[in-house]
Amino acid sequence: MTVPAVGDLGERVVALAAHLRAAHGFRVGPGEAAAALAALGAVDLGQPREVRDALRAVLTARREEGPLFDAAFDAFFGRAEPPPPRLPPLLPQTDAPLPPPPSERPGEAGKERRVPGQAQAEGMEEEVGSASARPTPDRETEGAPDGPPQRLTTRLSRDAGAGGQVDAPGDDLPELLRAAGALVRAAELGRARRLTPQARGPRLDTRRTLRAAARTAGDPARLRWLGRPRRAPRFLLVLDGSRSMGGSANLLLRFAFALHLRARRVEVYAFSTGLTRLTPLLRAARPGQGLHLPDLGDAWGGGTRIGENLLRLAREERARVNRDTVVLILSDGLDTGDPEVLTRALHDLGARAGQLVWLSPLAALPGYQPVQRAVRAALPHLDAFLPAGGLRDLAALGQRLRKLQINN
Amino acid sequence: MTQPPASPDLRAAFRERGYVAGDALVTSLRLVVALGRPLLLEGPAGVGKTEAAKTLAAALGTRLIRLQCYEGLDAQAALYEWNYARQLLHLRAAEVGGRAVTDADLYGPEFLMQRPLLEAIRQDVSPVLLIDEVDRADDAFEAFLLELLAEWQVTVPELGTLTATARPHVLLTSNRARELSDALRRRCLYLWVDYPTPAQELDIVRARLPGIGEALAAQVTRAVHALRELPLGKPPGVAETLDWAAALVALHRDWLDAEALDLTLGAVLKLHEDQVLARATLNKLAAP
Repeated sequence: MTVPAVGDLGERVVALAAHLRAAHGFRVGPGEAAAALAALGAVDLGQPREVRDALRAVLTARREEGPLFDAAFDAFFGRAEPPPPRLPPLLPQTDAPLPPPPSERPGEAGKERRVPGQAQAEGMEEEVGSASARPTPDRETEGAPDGPPQRLTTRLSRDAGAGGQVDAPGDDLPELLRAAGALVRAAELGRARRLTPQARGPRLDTRRTLRAAARTAGDPARLRWLGRPRRAPRFLLVLDGSRSMGGSANLLLRFAFALHLRARRVEVYAFSTGLTRLTPLLRAARPGQGLHLPDLGDAWGGGTRIGENLLRLAREERARVNRDTVVLILSDGLDTGDPEVLTRALHDLGARAGQLVWLSPLAALPGYQPVQRAVRAALPHLDAFLPAGGLRDLAALGQRLRKLQINN
Repeated sequence: MTQPPASPDLRAAFRERGYVAGDALVTSLRLVVALGRPLLLEGPAGVGKTEAAKTLAAALGTRLIRLQCYEGLDAQAALYEWNYARQLLHLRAAEVGGRAVTDADLYGPEFLMQRPLLEAIRQDVSPVLLIDEVDRADDAFEAFLLELLAEWQVTVPELGTLTATARPHVLLTSNRARELSDALRRRCLYLWVDYPTPAQELDIVRARLPGIGEALAAQVTRAVHALRELPLGKPPGVAETLDWAAALVALHRDWLDAEALDLTLGAVLKLHEDQVLARATLNKLAAP
C-alpha cells in the first residue's frame, strides 16, 4: 500500500470522510474531518497500518462501522488512483462490504425489490415440499405431529433467494403509533433504583431541604423527598422476515418502526435464514415517509431458522436483556429447525427478560391451533402467545397484555 | 512528514507491565494522549478494556481515577457533594460560641467532598480518568458527561466555575448493555476491542504467567478458542483464559487432562448450562 504525500493525504482524508457520510450515513462532519487530520499529525505516516487505525478511531463510532470504514479506506488509499467506486448503502453489519461492479449500482439494485413471500425461480430446487412458502390454514395443520413431519416449505440453503431491499409504505403509521403507545403504557415494570426529586419518596433530599430552609430562616419547615421513578420499559423485537410470513412481516416491520418512535429503548432484529440488527436502520429512517431498508441479506425473504437465530440473539443481547425488557417475537412459528435449540434460546431469554411474548399472524386465523413444532416447544417458556393478524390485533395488544398482567 | 510527538513507547511500556496490546489499541491510546480526546472502548466482557486504562496510567506514571457507573448514578455522586453533617456541626459550634457564620465559612473546601470527576479535573498532572461501564448509567448521566467532556469545567454554585488544570486522559468502557447516544460517541475516539487471535492470546498468557509450561499455555488457549465458537451464554474472555491457566498452574498441572478439566472448569465457564454444553468439546481437547 502506498500512502500519498501529505498535501494529497489531507484531501483524501476529507474526501474519505465525505464518502463515509454520503454512502454509509456515518455521522462525520467537518469537526471529525479536522480531528482526522489532527490524528495524522500524531502517528507515523510511514506506517499505513497506523494511519488506518488512527483514522478508524476518529471516523467510526460503533462496531458495525468498522468493516465499512476498512473497505472505504482500502478504496481510497489502497490503490494508486482515486476516485474509488461508490459503495452501495450496505448494512452496517455486513461482513465483507466490497464495492460491486458498476452494473450493480444501488439504483439498479432497487429495481429488483422483492415483496416478502414472493416466490422466486432461483433456489426453488433447494426447497422441501410444495412450491409456495405462504402458509394457509390448511397447511398449518399439516405440521401436526400425527401428520407427515414438516411438509411446510423452508429453505435449506443459507442464501437461497433471500435478501433484496425492503419497502414498507407508511400509510398506516398513525394507527400503528397508537397501538405502539398502548403497548408502551401497558408494559408496567416497577420502579427504578435511581432516586430523583419527587413529591414523596423513601429518602429525605438533604440538599433541596436545606436550600428551602434558607427561605424560612434556617428552619427546615418543608421537607423535600427523593423517590424512585417508574422504570421505562425496553423492548427487544425479533421479527421473522422469512417468506412464509408473507405480508405480515411487512406490517410487523412497520409496527416495529412505530414502536421505535414511541419508546426510547427499542432494539429490533430481523431473522430469516440469518439474523440482522435493524435498530440502526430504523433510527436512520424518517417518520411519516415509509420505510425503505437496504438489502437485508439472509435476514429477509429466505427460509426460517427460528431456534438458531434466537439462540444467537440470546447470546448477543444477553447483557441488554433484563427485568425491564419486554421481548416480542413476531413469527408464525413455521420452522424445520431443532425445537430443542429454540427451547434453549427461549429459556435463556425468558429467564432474563421481564416479559416474553410471541405474536403470531397465524394465531389470528379462525380455528387456529398452536400445533407447529416450534410454537409447541415455545409455549411453556412464554408469558403470552397472542395473535397479530392485522392492525386490529396490534391495536388490542396493549390491552391484552395488561389483562394478562392483572390475571397473573 | 509530520513527526510523531515524543510520547513513551506505549507498546513496550504495556508489554513491560504484562499487557499485550494490539496495534489499533496502541494507536488509539497514543491519540488520546496527543489529541486530548476521550476514547470509548467497546467490546465483550473480559477482553481487557478496564485493564488498558490501568496500564495506561502506569505507563504514563500518573494517577488512575476510576468512576464505576451503575444504574442510578447521578451527577452528585460522580462530581461533588457537600458534607452536610459537618456543615451542621460547624453551624451549631458557631452558635454556641456566639460566632457569626458566613457563606464562605460554610462552603469552604473543608466541606467539599470531591467525587471522581471533580478530583480528575483538579490534578496538577493529567491523570487517567476511567469511566467504567458507562452503558450502565442512565441517559441523564450520559448527557451530563457530555458537557464535562467537552468543556473540562464544572460549576459548583457556591464556589463558581472550576476548570481543569491538567486535562485528564479519559477512557470510557462499555459492554453495550445499552445503546449510547450519538452525541457521546461523537465526542470520543472509538475502538471495538475484540477477542484476541489464538497467537495473541498465547502471547498474553505467556506474558502474564511467565512460569507456565508451553504445552499447557497452548492447550488452554486452543480450548478457550474452541469454547468461543460454541453458542455459550457467557463466552470466556481473556480474563477467564488467564484465570484458568493460573488455576491449572496453582494445581501444578502441566497438561490439561480430564481430571484437571473437572477441577478447573469453573474458572472458565461460569454458567452451569454452558458447562454442560461445552463438556463434549472439551473432552475432545483434553488429553486422555
